[in-house]
Amino acid sequence: MNLAFYPGCSLEGLANDYERSITAVFDKLDVKLVEIDDWTCCGATAAHSLSETMAVLLPAKNLAAAEKMGLDIVSPCANCFNRLTYSRKMILKNIYDVPWKVTGKTKVYDMTRFLAQPDMIDQIKQKVLMPLEGLHLVSYYGCQMVRPPKITGFTDYENPQTLDKIAVALGAISLDWSYKATCCGASIGIGRRDIQFNLSTRLIKKAHQAGAEAIIVSCPLCQSNLDMVQNEKGMPKIPVFYFTEMMRLAFEGEKCSIQNFRMHLTDPGRLLRKKGLVK
Amino acid sequence: MIPLKNKPVGKAMVIGGGIGGIQAALDLADTGFYVYLADKSHSVGGTMAQLDKTFPTNDCSTCIFSPKLVEAAGHPNIRIMTSCELMNLDGVPGHFTAHVRRMPRYINMDKCIACGQCAEKCPKKVPDAFNTELGMRKAAYIPFPQAVPLKYALDPDQCLYLTKKKCGLCKKICPVDAVEFDQKVENFTLEVGAVILSAGFELALIKEHGEYGFGRYRNVVTSLQYERMLSATGPYGGHLQRPSDGKSPKRIAWIQCVMSRDISKNRPFCSSVCCMHAAKQAVLTRSHLPESETVIYFMDIRAHGKGFDEYIERAVFQHQVQYKRSMISQLYVNPQSENLVVETFDHHINGTVEEEYDLVVLSSGFQPSKGWINLADRLNIHLNPYGFACGDFDEPVSTSRPGVYVCGVLESPKDIPETVIQAGAAAAEVSGLLSEARMLPAPDENQGADNQIEETPETGQEIRVGVFVCHCGSNIAGVVDIPTLLSVIQKDDDVTFAQDFMFTCSAETQDRLAQTIKEHHLNRVVIAACSPKTHEPLFQKTLEQAGLNPYLMDMANIRNQCSWVHGKDTKKATTKALELIKAAVARAKNLEPLMADTYKIVNDSLVIGGGLAGMTAALTMAKQGFHVHLVEKTGHLGGFAVKLTHTLEGHSPPKLVRMLEDRVKSNPNITLYLNSELSEHSGYIGVFNGIIINAETRHEISYGAVVVASGGTAYQADEFRYGQDERVVTQVELAQRLRRDPQWPRQLKSVVMIQCVGSRNETFAYCSRVCCSAAVKNAIALKDINPDIQVVILYRDLRTFGFKELYYLEARRKGVLFFRFIPDEAPVVYDDHGQLVVDFTDRSSHQEFRITPDLVTLSTGIRPALDNEKLARILKLSRTPEGFFMEAHVKLRPVEFPTAGIFLAGLAHSPRFSDEAVAMAKCAAQQAIKVLCQDKMKTSPTYAVVDPDLCTACLACVRVCPFGAPFINKEGISEIVPAKCQGCGMCPSECPARAITLRHSTDHQTVAEIDALLDKIDICIKHP
Repeated sequence: MNLAFYPGCSLEGLANDYERSITAVFDKLDVKLVEIDDWTCCGATAAHSLSETMAVLLPAKNLAAAEKMGLDIVSPCANCFNRLTYSRKMILKNIYDVPWKVTGKTKVYDMTRFLAQPDMIDQIKQKVLMPLEGLHLVSYYGCQMVRPPKITGFTDYENPQTLDKIAVALGAISLDWSYKATCCGASIGIGRRDIQFNLSTRLIKKAHQAGAEAIIVSCPLCQSNLDMVQNEKGMPKIPVFYFTEMMRLAFEGEKCSIQNFRMHLTDPGRLLRKKGLVK
Repeated sequence: MIPLKNKPVGKAMVIGGGIGGIQAALDLADTGFYVYLADKSHSVGGTMAQLDKTFPTNDCSTCIFSPKLVEAAGHPNIRIMTSCELMNLDGVPGHFTAHVRRMPRYINMDKCIACGQCAEKCPKKVPDAFNTELGMRKAAYIPFPQAVPLKYALDPDQCLYLTKKKCGLCKKICPVDAVEFDQKVENFTLEVGAVILSAGFELALIKEHGEYGFGRYRNVVTSLQYERMLSATGPYGGHLQRPSDGKSPKRIAWIQCVMSRDISKNRPFCSSVCCMHAAKQAVLTRSHLPESETVIYFMDIRAHGKGFDEYIERAVFQHQVQYKRSMISQLYVNPQSENLVVETFDHHINGTVEEEYDLVVLSSGFQPSKGWINLADRLNIHLNPYGFACGDFDEPVSTSRPGVYVCGVLESPKDIPETVIQAGAAAAEVSGLLSEARMLPAPDENQGADNQIEETPETGQEIRVGVFVCHCGSNIAGVVDIPTLLSVIQKDDDVTFAQDFMFTCSAETQDRLAQTIKEHHLNRVVIAACSPKTHEPLFQKTLEQAGLNPYLMDMANIRNQCSWVHGKDTKKATTKALELIKAAVARAKNLEPLMADTYKIVNDSLVIGGGLAGMTAALTMAKQGFHVHLVEKTGHLGGFAVKLTHTLEGHSPPKLVRMLEDRVKSNPNITLYLNSELSEHSGYIGVFNGIIINAETRHEISYGAVVVASGGTAYQADEFRYGQDERVVTQVELAQRLRRDPQWPRQLKSVVMIQCVGSRNETFAYCSRVCCSAAVKNAIALKDINPDIQVVILYRDLRTFGFKELYYLEARRKGVLFFRFIPDEAPVVYDDHGQLVVDFTDRSSHQEFRITPDLVTLSTGIRPALDNEKLARILKLSRTPEGFFMEAHVKLRPVEFPTAGIFLAGLAHSPRFSDEAVAMAKCAAQQAIKVLCQDKMKTSPTYAVVDPDLCTACLACVRVCPFGAPFINKEGISEIVPAKCQGCGMCPSECPARAITLRHSTDHQTVAEIDALLDKIDICIKHP
């Protein structure tokens, strides 16, 4: 089975490690990712709030390209997923003049949702070489992936489950907590750093209170935001992983090098060694 | 309307056995129609059976509802059909064929004796739906202990035999071989003339929504779950505890408007009752757990019913319930304690504050019951976008299909009294449609009168007293040590037999009671339970069932007079209970069988007031062939509604008035008396006499029943420059001006409306219910004519309940500005060099504002009619301190008075909307028809009698009687009219010659009772 892969700009830079882990994970799965040729910006920058036309048309080019490939799209970034889905929904209302052909044949998956489908969970379980036993995780979905439900199609947006299901499939202990989809403040970070700081430190503290040893995320902005804020004095130190990093660790077992986690600001080495997951 | 083929079928089908369905069934059955009362579940009872207590009186829901269930179960004109669903309806009004499907119960109802062995032995435990899944029940079960009919059932989704062909234990042990695994779905048809839909509601909040972590966090419960948690018959036996750890909660929060007023859930409407039930639950919590702290998070307090605002005041000031105005979006859980964290914004620190609670109750909105949408589709009934079968303005209980009527929450979200009113109105519609087919049994002269006791005291036979002690759930048993009490009573020489029951008032216990009386040849019965005020008639019927004269029974009120007031001291309470029972036994030994007399009734009625309610009541009765005297004090019909223009929903009350007026004037069954009033009134239910006077004439009339629809009046404001500045008007005046001069708002730039003028204050506590809607209506009208106009509404709580909320939403969308004020900072209106100025403080932002409007509109409330006082005196009726008439019971008897035969409708009862007044009038008329349709009536046998040998004709009794029952007869001595005598006991105690005896309360009965009370008792409590 093939999927059109839309990496988005974050994975080219900020979340380079996310892309590397995705590539490694899909190498093991019976699903191949085919990167969309000549993909363009999804519009999750300032564009979509400034121009409704841009908001619809920027992702449309990518939708058209995937349709040409005859494949469904999978998007690892919550923002890209949100914009692509929004654009697709609007185009299907037939009120926009779209220069590319988009018929809606192509579905758009958020990567966690694709992987949390029952058959994919079965496949993941089979590929686990080293179960992440005893590792207490909380899943953090952020705001863009599940909301607004009318766009994203998530029905359990108050208590999403995709990351939790994947964590359990990997053998980890997935803890429930109340802050799965509570804003981390990344979007307001440039204008009001004080608000961003309060929102993201609260998440770290609440994850700690819930008994989490690590947080798994799927959004590049959430990852960097939650990772960075832990530099502050008195903050508990909780590594923030892309969920695919955890998948890679479980799939590759001993072969997975600690070097894969070198881009993390909050060092995950101590935790992973303590749990016997890396040497 | 579709013309009737021939005489209609005198039978009706009522769908739904909740309070609405039960009431509709009783109102039809008592007026000569046969009723099939169908419920999908295995018992009637509906939601009301699940409630703990009811606002605003805190009456126990089961206690006030159970007698109705029992009455319906025993009514010869009602057939209760449980597990039945209406599938389809063919035919025309008057001649429907109802297609009914009965789901298998797997237990033969005729055989089942409710011994409960099947449930006891059943190995399969499942979440108990009646207890909102907080507790467990078995797969063989009764829905709840007071279920009607009290017959077990097997749960086909859970029973091991029915799902996997394993087990079958119940069949083996059932002593009467009632278990039938091979029962099949049955389909059958019924011929009925009309259908009433009262299928009720369910909470809109389900676990799958994930709202506020319901279904995810264990200490988040719904309002209905909380009712069960409070209830003595609930999963925790009435002892409040947290579902997570069983600990008693210290801090409890309520979140209002969950799944209500929420556009994102496509539920923009208000569910009308949640504000009040949250207040009630908080008050009850404070009395269950005096150390607890209760906080209600709300948007507006919608206490728009009679006496509701006073209830909220009491909640706040007497019970320290805290109200926090805040729209909570999410709950967080503390993973260590499973406490819930509520985050609010604090204006004082300009930041968020976290508050932790042990338990959070979600006041969920309502939606029609499961399956309703499909049924409505099959029946071809039009629904509103949210699934409710809303009635029309002039026909509030009609559906889009003729001959099919609706009542209760299915029509729109509402509370119990409004449901009872609609049920009566729906019954009135059916009764009108089918009146040709009314069947009344010939009055049985001997019914209840013949005494079948073979051994009577006169013949010197043995007196055998039976004592039955009620647990009343845990109401009594939670305080009084019943096993000890019972063992002492059983040893008493005066007592032949004694037994205890969980709920003595349940239908099933009634049968057992009657059986026991027969078995032990008891001829005097003492029921130690609750108040005879509510339950004496019920137990009297049971005695009749057992072949005993109903007056051979006495009640010892060991609940209201004992367990409820001595909750902290089991020893003293048990001793007192014993004393009360011994006194009742002593009295019972001296009771005598009494017989009822019958008398012929007058089939005409009197309606006082020619407004919407009065005309509707008159037409409802006239349509069914009863003659009506309609008295209106002014020279025209229409009352309050004439001045109105249109309603929030766009209907025209004056148009309705004109239509009703034409019908009243052309109806040969109605005699209209304009410019007239009732000057004298005497008599009793069925036989009243009155005098109607006007300037010239005087009519003496007789009537069997009275409907009081004397209306209300508008508050005459003298504040906010009203009356001295023509730029200050009322909402009614503004609406009239808009009708006269639609272009006028184009000249206006700014209009300020001030709410609650003359309402909700120290001199007049009531909320007038209609003013918020009136303001929203006029605001929208102004904006529609001139979109640039600034409209500012200054309010305290915006009370656009139910679907009126949609118009509040529309007003905000159209740019109407709403600012909240509090009475301590009331807006100020003044004239500044010819410019009208309004100063006010907005409570949400704590900012002060100044507006210079062209017009100020005052929302002046509804006040009781001025001549209510005089009318109350003539009819001897009581009123509330504010001057509205006081009904017999706020919850279940909203249109009745304590005085039998007199009924109440419209603004005379309390402020209400036109369509509500119309429904109420129909309901009141239907209650009156219960009297009018009969040929003869029975008097109460408990009247006072004069011993002619002792009477000195001193007139003491004539002067003291509040009902005018005694008079000096031709022989020159006092005589008391039995049908007029209410048995109050005033004349026997006043009579200096001791010539008067009150039957059933004779001197020797009372003396024996007092003597027994004074006997010293000491008992040892084994179970503290």
